[in-house]
Amino acid sequence: MKNRLKVLRAERDWTQADLADALDVSRQTINAIEKGKFDPSLPLAFKAARLFHMAIEDIFQDGGV
Amino acid sequence: MNPSSSKQESLKQRTQRSTKTLFIWTFSWVASLAVLSFGPKFIWDFNMIFSAMAILGNLVLGYKMIMANKEHLLAMDEMHQRIQLEAMGISLGVGLVIGTSYETLEDIRVISYEPEISHLIMVMAVVYMIRIILGYRKYA
Repeated sequence: MKNRLKVLRAERDWTQADLADALDVSRQTINAIEKGKFDPSLPLAFKAARLFHMAIEDIFQDGGV
Repeated sequence: MNPSSSKQESLKQRTQRSTKTLFIWTFSWVASLAVLSFGPKFIWDFNMIFSAMAILGNLVLGYKMIMANKEHLLAMDEMHQRIQLEAMGISLGVGLVIGTSYETLEDIRVISYEPEISHLIMVMAVVYMIRIILGYRKYA
């Protein structure tokens, strides 16, 4: 699954640790999600969407389509 | 700007607390196992009542350790939970497969000694640790 977390984070000048703080996960998890190595659960995706005031599909895209 | 500074602390605090709790109950269980193993011979001369109390204590502490391990798992974030679950699943499967085969080896006279449960536990522990390392490398 592709995502725009890294771009959205950079736009706000947040570090991975800052984003991890906000989403209540570890920095390693944010790193893995940004690299596309780990797909977040739906609740975590919703949390990210709420944080960035965006729709989930504007942040996460299915890489298989 | 830091979007939130309190939640990371809660994750960190959660993990630290569950790790500390798990350590305490694991240490207690290991200590009770030592008492159960050596107490009958060296302390209470195989008195059945004391042995029964030692067994009961060991089981109770074992239960507390299992629950602490479950809480420790739930305190992690979802990626770390997945790494742990993958490692536990593989080590459980290896334990089942290797354990049953190992137990059969004496019956079919491939080995001459009685299989020890401690050997199986060591194999499972090694497999678990290897899978944890591979899991962290996979998502790094």
